[in-house]
Amino acid sequence: MRRFIICVAVLALLGSLPVTQAKDDGFGDVVKLIEQFYHVKHQGIPLLARAGLKTATTVARISGGPRRQIAEAGSVKVAYFDDQDFKSNVSYTGFKSSMNSVLIGWSPFIQVASPKDEAQTYIYLREAGEKFNVMVVTIEPREACVVQVNLSPANLAKLMRNPDEMGNTITVDATTNDNQ
Amino acid sequence: MKLISRTLLKIAPVKLAALAVLLTLGATATAMAQNPRIQTSQLDGLAAKASETVDVNIDESLMALTAKFLSSKDDDERKVKEIVSGLKGIYVKSFEFENEGQYTDADLESIRSQLRNPAWSRIINARSKKDGSIEVYLMHTGEQISGLAVLATELKEITVINIVGPVNLEKLTQLEGEFGIPELGLEGSKPKRKN
Repeated sequence: MRRFIICVAVLALLGSLPVTQAKDDGFGDVVKLIEQFYHVKHQGIPLLARAGLKTATTVARISGGPRRQIAEAGSVKVAYFDDQDFKSNVSYTGFKSSMNSVLIGWSPFIQVASPKDEAQTYIYLREAGEKFNVMVVTIEPREACVVQVNLSPANLAKLMRNPDEMGNTITVDATTNDNQ
Repeated sequence: MKLISRTLLKIAPVKLAALAVLLTLGATATAMAQNPRIQTSQLDGLAAKASETVDVNIDESLMALTAKFLSSKDDDERKVKEIVSGLKGIYVKSFEFENEGQYTDADLESIRSQLRNPAWSRIINARSKKDGSIEVYLMHTGEQISGLAVLATELKEITVINIVGPVNLEKLTQLEGEFGIPELGLEGSKPKRKN
């Protein structure tokens, strides 16, 4: 019973969070592109919470708490595609081109495709006043994730030194907490 | 006399326009010839055969951001900050293949043809059957280096690095492992120098 109450409370909190929906320019476009390209459907955070995925930690992160190390508090947008098929015979170059054409005004910073592992990572950057919008798209055989965060120029400069790790660092920062 | 003046007035603008077009085309051609940014998009076709493709693009604004915001207090960051100051871009493209023979020299021709431009001079051309080859090119604009290009090939790997701005071999060596530039082993190697 106690677990049920906690679960309901978590779902209520998650449901009230405004930053998880794929409605913004760029972010929403990419989510829609992935859905159309791979014939999949993204899940909102509440649904993932119901499935028991990273509930408390997601709350901590999405709500923009002080635990966040890199992303600006409250700037995080996340869309998950969990347990769906991304292995269908699609062209990586075709998807990359589509991403580039959808993300007008964004600069492709790093694009990694590994057909052998059926994995792709894309990082796009966009100036947003004194901050930078950073979008990380990771696609694996059975799951995908789109994360958009605001970074300070100082944090971005540090992360740019290691592009290979940048996507992972931002995604982890946006979706987990220090206790994980 | 009037007729001549009229004719001249008619012809002159046409000639002037033609001259302007020629000058513009000439200037554009010179600018392209002197452009230290090499085009790598023609390699994109290899992505279909590659087991891994990496494409890193750090343009002038991102380069300036890095130089500006890396800390001057941290020794490591200060060192990198000094190296990248003034650079206008770092571009890296690499392809890894599952098997040998999945690319040919013809695939690299689009890169080599750009580097054959007299504005580029090859400063390193190291070849080994075991380790593959590495070619390093510099572009000079006047007395200053305005760009660097590296074409590194192994039996199952191609890497193209293009750094735009005042860069030299020492800076390249220091940038290995940073900003997507792979370890090239330039410091320890004893390449044959050719020109």
